[in-house]
Order: sequence, then structure tokens, then C-alpha cells
Amino acid sequence: MNSVTKSTKSAKITKLIKDWFAAKGWKTFPFQREVWEAAQAGKSGILHASTGSGKTYAVWFAALLRAMDKKPAKKTTTGLRVLWITPMRALAADTLRALQEPLNDLLPHWSIGVRTGDTGSAERARQVKALPATLITTPESLSLMLSKSDAQAQFANLDMIIVDEWHELMGSKRGVQTQLAIARLKLWNPQLLVWGLSATLGNLEQARDALLGGDNGVLVQGQTQKKIKVDTLIPENPSRFPWAGHLGLQMLPAVVAEIEQHQSTLVFTNTRSQAEIWYQNLLEARPDWAGLIALHHGSLDKEVRDWVEQGLKAGQLKAVVCTSSLDLGVDFLPVERVLQIGSARGVARLMQRAGRSGHAPGRVSRVTLVPTHTLELLEAAGAKQAVALRQIEARQVPDKPLDVLVQHVVTVALGGGFRSEDLYQEVKSAYSYHNLQPDEWNWVLNFVTRGGQSLTAYPEYHKVVADENGIYRVPDLTIGRRHRMGIGTIVSDASISVKFISGTRIGTIEESFISRLKKGDHFLFGGRMLEFIRVYEMTAYVKRAMGNKGTIPRWQGGKMPLSSELAHAALEQLEIASRLESKLESGLVSDQKFNSPEMAALKPLLDIQQRWSALPTPETLLIETMQSREGFHLFMYPFEGRAVHAGLAALLAYRMTKHQANTFSIAFNDYGFELLTPQSMDWRQLFNAGMGSEITLFSTDSLLEDVLLSMNATELSQRRFREIARIAGLVFQGYPGQPKSNRQLQASSSLFFEVFRKHDADNLLLTQAQREVLEQELELTRLSETLQQLQKKQIDLHEIARPTPFAFPLMVELIREKLSTEKLADRIARMVRELEKAAQV
Amino acid sequence: MSALEWQVAGEVVMLLPQKAIYWPRTSTLIIADVHFGKAGTFRRLGVPVPHGTTTQNLQLIDELIAIYPSKHLIFLGDFLHAAGTSTSTLQSLLKWRQSHHQIAMTLVRGNHDLRAGDPPEMLNIQVVDEPYLVKPFAFCHYPDINSDSYVIAGHVHPAFRLSTRYEKLRLPCFLLGASRAILPSFGAFTGSYTITPATGEHVFVVANDSVIKIPV
Repeated sequence: MNSVTKSTKSAKITKLIKDWFAAKGWKTFPFQREVWEAAQAGKSGILHASTGSGKTYAVWFAALLRAMDKKPAKKTTTGLRVLWITPMRALAADTLRALQEPLNDLLPHWSIGVRTGDTGSAERARQVKALPATLITTPESLSLMLSKSDAQAQFANLDMIIVDEWHELMGSKRGVQTQLAIARLKLWNPQLLVWGLSATLGNLEQARDALLGGDNGVLVQGQTQKKIKVDTLIPENPSRFPWAGHLGLQMLPAVVAEIEQHQSTLVFTNTRSQAEIWYQNLLEARPDWAGLIALHHGSLDKEVRDWVEQGLKAGQLKAVVCTSSLDLGVDFLPVERVLQIGSARGVARLMQRAGRSGHAPGRVSRVTLVPTHTLELLEAAGAKQAVALRQIEARQVPDKPLDVLVQHVVTVALGGGFRSEDLYQEVKSAYSYHNLQPDEWNWVLNFVTRGGQSLTAYPEYHKVVADENGIYRVPDLTIGRRHRMGIGTIVSDASISVKFISGTRIGTIEESFISRLKKGDHFLFGGRMLEFIRVYEMTAYVKRAMGNKGTIPRWQGGKMPLSSELAHAALEQLEIASRLESKLESGLVSDQKFNSPEMAALKPLLDIQQRWSALPTPETLLIETMQSREGFHLFMYPFEGRAVHAGLAALLAYRMTKHQANTFSIAFNDYGFELLTPQSMDWRQLFNAGMGSEITLFSTDSLLEDVLLSMNATELSQRRFREIARIAGLVFQGYPGQPKSNRQLQASSSLFFEVFRKHDADNLLLTQAQREVLEQELELTRLSETLQQLQKKQIDLHEIARPTPFAFPLMVELIREKLSTEKLADRIARMVRELEKAAQV
Repeated sequence: MSALEWQVAGEVVMLLPQKAIYWPRTSTLIIADVHFGKAGTFRRLGVPVPHGTTTQNLQLIDELIAIYPSKHLIFLGDFLHAAGTSTSTLQSLLKWRQSHHQIAMTLVRGNHDLRAGDPPEMLNIQVVDEPYLVKPFAFCHYPDINSDSYVIAGHVHPAFRLSTRYEKLRLPCFLLGASRAILPSFGAFTGSYTITPATGEHVFVVANDSVIKIPV
């Protein structure tokens, strides 16, 4: 074909697409054309934009254009050409619908299908014979496909991979799993294009590099962000508003009024239990809304969630109380209003949630914060500013998690086998492993072939075995089958399904919650009061309960730390307030002390704080000390988020006990922390500026060592190891609803943890658990930066007579850590004494 | 290491922090749920558990025998974890058995033994079905057996969750009631199950080197 006919052809195609858009009454956007041109030129990249802005068609038409550009295939089956990876199974059906639409008109011979954990066996069987031209799938299902022995042939014609919502995946191990799969597919198809769709992030370049494995690629900026408005429901009487708490039910009347005024409202909560409680209370406040309001969270059955989503789309629901389960996904056009109960924890998340409203053209996306206690007004003021300045958090990409690699290596051994050096190079081409050292690779290879220890091979262990040509495979069919069942890195607590005796499914719930229930106990779930009957074969059977007293299930994962962006923004608001205060005192300004409704509402509380103690500011470190019946308290407010505070509190406690054995009870929240000890402490001496003793306490010298000794690092690592053991295939979990199989193979991750520590202490999975604790839970880097900042701050120490507004929430915090140098037996003896004392009261 | 003495069925027994019971009057050592060969079973099925748990188990029994003079050693079931115990494990067991040839050993069959089969004869372990009566005790694997004698059993792998307002600990435990006692599992590679004591039952937790009674 000469160049003239070629250009005529592509002009024809361009017209075809223009016409298709025009027929829909749409225009093509410049950013869409930018993506199409880049893909035509064979470039990969990332498109970042807010939701609902034509992102999907930007990448989808890029793929279609490439297909239309080629000569039409003679055969009707083209083989798999485009892989569309989505982080949520729930999104697959909507994506399918969106992608299908232009296909019918433009490429009618192209087939399209979905493959996720929900895909039925008939569809699966059809796909085994011939994959559709486009497949929508999840990272787990893609890994599963790579474990088939004919994987390479299946992917032979693959032209493009599109990863939807990459910002959701990139910070997790599922994202790493995706990276590894892409590395493999690129090796098979060197011309393969990789495109990612992402929301706006603080580290877009890194997002691109992680997806493309460091290859060149373009960053395309989508439609500029819609206007976002953040405001706050101000409590009617701020001086009566509670100083602590997390439910926020005092705001119920105000929330009811907001819902009343709008056609459709999304009410976001931070935990599933909070969603249940709010739903229940809304119904009690407005019984006439039964059937008009609904509940949506990740534990509810898919059918229930689908029903709610359909109702939202159709505009039939007045309000839906939801969790992050509605953060992602298709747009619900009728949603007018978004309320956020309590802190949103991060700027990106707040923007994402705001974006769920105002989809109709010309409307503004608006989110209204509903504070659950007074100090959240401060955060609200900070959030407003952070959103306005677009101070969006970065997502950290995991650094060479070996559990994911162990899983992948077995997957590849199943999917046709590998040579060690080839796979090492392939794995290194994935961003998260670019720094993988030869000895680490050898350890992983040893772990799957010989069981881990390099010196002694286990004679009975034959998971992955090299043949005479040096190709590693999985010879045992049973082991292969079990590995395939275990593929997947999403890990949560073991959950079991909840059903009515009649067999109707309601949803799933954590086993740890169910195990605490006795027959006849009531609990609130799925918006209904249920009575627990019994557990049989991984299913909890329930019936509707009479009466309405019950416990609310507590779910894991409700305690996300505040992002540093948000914490700092809140602290800045305080600084502005205190600056205005001093200007006012010196007569520089007359009024307008507090420049936002949030800060104005906060004023009574800040006045008390100021009177009893002082306000924390970016330049000063406020420390409050107090003596009570419980002992000697120290409160400190660095405003660095709860993870850093947890580490910092334990570190300081540990450094204080270095010279004198002591026991500290530690409480922390996003603003600060409390140390409480029964022994008398001369806090002023410890922190007296000028004496220099605080320099040692805030020192970054031997930080790692001290942190490991101070936190119960072993206990934390053991908790982390649960996930690692599952991913690396040590613990075989089975699926909810399936009867337990293979009883011989039952062992808990904590048992593995103990045995590894005793008999294989150099096991790199143990090292990884510790590293994850330090990097992700204690945020060691952030902790170190915090210490350096604290060294520079001026200490402002106040002895207080009673807890200040900032101290109070810490004092009533029930979840506490303990730092103790006591022997286990002594500790138990003390706990027993405490129990006996409590029993006597 | 300090043991705790307790009286049941008119006999003094010692609850040992090594997770065993010693009956001084008859010089009998009682151990439940060792699960020999469990790690090997895992390895054979493709799950890499490190070597060393069998040796650890045997060394611990050696230690106990050295401290508490024993004429009789009773295993309360689940001696072998599964069928197909490796030759190396069996060889270690044989060597260990020979070093204690003067001690009589009895295994009360448990659920795992039924599938794994009796230990090889050369180990010279008397194998019996429950209840194995040695007055005033009925030694069993399952704790729920009906017996006129005081039942001493295993199978449950009990652990207790000790929690106060601020702290939580989960520890292996002995569970002693009016008509039966349950031992914690002895094996180095065995898990545990959180129990709630019934009224009248006493809980004794194992805290590294001591045994502590919990008021419940």
C-alpha cells in the first residue's frame, strides 16, 4: 500500500469516528485525539483526568483505530487483541456495556467478553476454545490465565493492554501483580502498547513508570478538573458540640434536612459499621423514607449492591448510605449531593467523592463535610484549602514484595515453565523489582524449588522442579490446582457468608465477628436486625430479629491514617487562627478573626484551648502534662497522622524507659498522642528547652533499632505476615461458602511465623513483614522527617489542671498500645490483678 | 521453668510450662497432640515448612524426662499427623525411643492416628483405644467421652484470650474442670483454638516459663 492510499484510509477512519461521535451528539476532545495519535504512533502512556470525562473512549478508540488501520483479518476470529484490566469485578459489567456500543457500528466482527471471579463456567469454557477480541478482566484473573500451559499462544495477537483506575491499583500488591503480568506479556509481544487511566495524583510520573516498567511513554492530561466545592455542615451550637466521638449522630437532623432538599444524595461514611448505624438512624428519623433510602457496602451481597446501583442510576433513590464501595465506578447522573460523615482522611479521596455529584453539564461537584466532633471542623477547614490548592497525595508503589514474586514464579512455572536467568531479567523489567538483587532472586527460586534454606534441600518437597534442560515447571497436578485456587493478592480476614435459613444470601461478614456471637444474639447487618442461629460449613445462618437491640459488626480497616497533606493543612489553619489572634490583640485587625465558617464555629473551642493551654502551630510544639488518678499524662500534638504518632509515641516511651524501667499506656489520633504512666515523671525536666534532653529523645540516631525495640515490632510483623503467608501460598484458605478441604494442610499464618522464626530465621518473607511494618504502618521515613522537624520547633510546655479540648479525645481513646519492659509472666500477673480489681468494683 | 501443682480426683498433678502434665505418684508424664511429621506432610504437599520441628519436640520431651523421673509416658492421641511419615522422621523417632528404652510408652489413639495408622512396632509404643484407664484417671484423646473416672484428654489444642481494658494476649492453656482436664497441644508445629471455660472450669495459661491460673 503506498502512502497516498494509506493516508486516504486513515482520513476515512477519522471521519468514521467523527461521524460516530456526531451521531451521539458528542464532540471529540483534544485530549482524546492526543491519545489516539500517540497510540497510532505506537506509544504507550497514561491518561489522567477526573471521572466521567470521556476517558474510557479516549483509550478505547485508540485501540479500535489501531485495529481498523490494519487489514481486516480473513478469519472471523482475530484472537485476543485488547485486554482491559479493571480493579473491581463490579465495574466489569458497566465497562462491557460502554465498550460494546461503538463496536457494533465500527468493528462488528469484534467479539468482547468478561472474565472475572464471577464469570460462569459456560462462558469460561467458551473462552477456553477461543478468547474474544477484547477481554475485560481483573489482575487476579489475568494471573490465572498466565498459569495455563498454553498462555503464550493465547496472548499471541495481543496489541494493547488498558489498565483502568490505575491509581487504585498502583499502591497495592495487586498493582505489583499487574506489573509482573505486563512484563510477561511485553516479552511475548514486544510491540505491545500499555495504557493506563488514572485520577490525578501527586506522583503521576511514578504512576507512569510503574505501569510502563520505565519504558518511554506519554502523560496525557484529560479534561481539566471540574470545579469542586467543599463546604461543611456547621453544628447549630458549636460550643455544645462534643469534643470527641466518631459517629456524628448529633448531626442527624441537619443531614436529614439536606437529604430532604435534594433529589438524590450519597452519604459517605468511613466504615461499614458506621454506615449501618447511620442508615438505621435515618430510617428511625424518617420512617416514610423506607424504600427510598438504601445501604451500600462491600460486605453486602452483589445482588443487593446491584439493586442499589440500578436504583441510583434510575433516580429512584433519595439517598444511599455508603462506604468506599461507591468511590469508584460508573457515574450516577442523578446524584446531586454528596455528604461525607467524619474525616475523608485524604485530599484525593475527598475529591474523588466530590466527583460523584454534579455530573450533569455545567454543574459543580460539591462535597459537604459532616463533622463528628469539634476538632473535625479544623480538618474541614484544612481540607477545603488543600482541595483548592490541589495538594493531592502521592501513592507509594510497593518495593519488591517477595510474596507476590513467589506467587508469580509458581504461576509462570505452571504457565509453560521458565529458565532462571530469563525470568530474572523479565521480573527486573517490572518497576517494583528493578532493584531485585541476584541473591534475592536466588532465594525466591530456592524457596519454590527447595523450600527456602539454601544449604539443605527438603527431600519430600517438589513444588517447582527443573528438568534436564533447566526449565522450571510444576510437575504435581494437585499442587498446581491448589496454586491456581490461591492466586490473588486481595486479602482480607477470612469471611463467611450470611444467609437466612430459607437460603437467601445477605452478604459476607468477617469470621472473627461471627465467632464471638452466641445463638440468639442480635446484630445489625445489611440494614436489618438479625438473630444469629448457627454456623455451618462457612455460612452463618440467621433470621429476622424481634426488637431492635443488638451489636454492630466491627470491620477491620476502619482506621486509615490522615494523609500528611491533610494533617498539615489543618495545622496551617491553626497557625492562621493564632496569627489573627495576636494581630487582633495588637489591634492590627479589628474583626474577621476567623476567615471561614468552620474556623468561626471552632472558635469557642480554640478559645478554651488557648485559655487552658495554648494552640499548636507549625513553629511550636505544644506539650501538655497533667496528673490524674490514673497517673502521669503527657500530651503532644505534632499533627502528622496516626501512623506517625503511634511510632513516635512508642519511640519516646522506649527512650524514656531506657534508663528506668517503666510501663506506658499509649493513645494516639491524627493530631497527637498521649503517654500515660503510673510512675511519677518530671516531664518539664525532660522537655525543658535549653537543657538539651529533648534532643536525645527526638534524635534520628539509631532510629531503626529503637523503633524495632520500642514497638512491639514482632507482634506487628506477625499481623503483617498473615497477608504475606496467604500470597506466598503458605496458607491455603479456600473460598467462602466452600466446605473446608484438605484438613491436613491447616495451619495458621502465626504458626508459620513462629516456625520460620525459630528454624529459618533468615527467611526473606519474615524480613519483608518487618519492612512492611516499618514502611507502611509506622511510616519510618515520615517518622524520621517528623523527628527532624520537631528538633527545630520551639517547645511550648503547659501543665494543665484538666484535659484541654485537644487532650480530651486522646484521654477517652479506648484502643491503646502498651509499651512495657515487663516479663510476660509479670505482665500476665498484673493483668490478672487488674481483672480481679475490676471484678470487685 | 516452674510447674504448678493442682489436685484432681484426689491426686496431685503438676501442670508444666512445657505443655505437659506430670503425675508424681506414678511417675507418669502425659503429653497430648504432638503431630509428628506434620511439617513433612506440608512439604510433601508443596508448602515449605522448615526442618527442625521434630527435633525440637523430641528435645523437649528429653528435657522433661530429665527433670521429672518418668516410668511411663502417655501420649493422648495424634502422635503422627498423617499417613506417609518420612523415613527421616521415623528414624529420629526410633533413635529417640532407643535412648529411653526403660520407659513404658502408651498411645491413646486419636483422630489423626486413625488415618495415619499406628506408629511402627519397632517404636515399642503400646497403642490403645480410649478410654485408657489408670485409676483414678481415664486417659483419652477426645475430652467429651463419658466415663466414671476423671478424664484427661487432648484434641482441642486450647488457648485462652486474656484481655483487660488496654491489653490483649492469647496464650495456650490447660483447662481443668470437675470431671475432666484438657491439655494444650505439645507439638512445635501445631495451632490452637480459643476456648471459653464453662462454669466450674479453671484456666491455666502457659506463659513461657511458668503456668499461671486465671480467675474466670
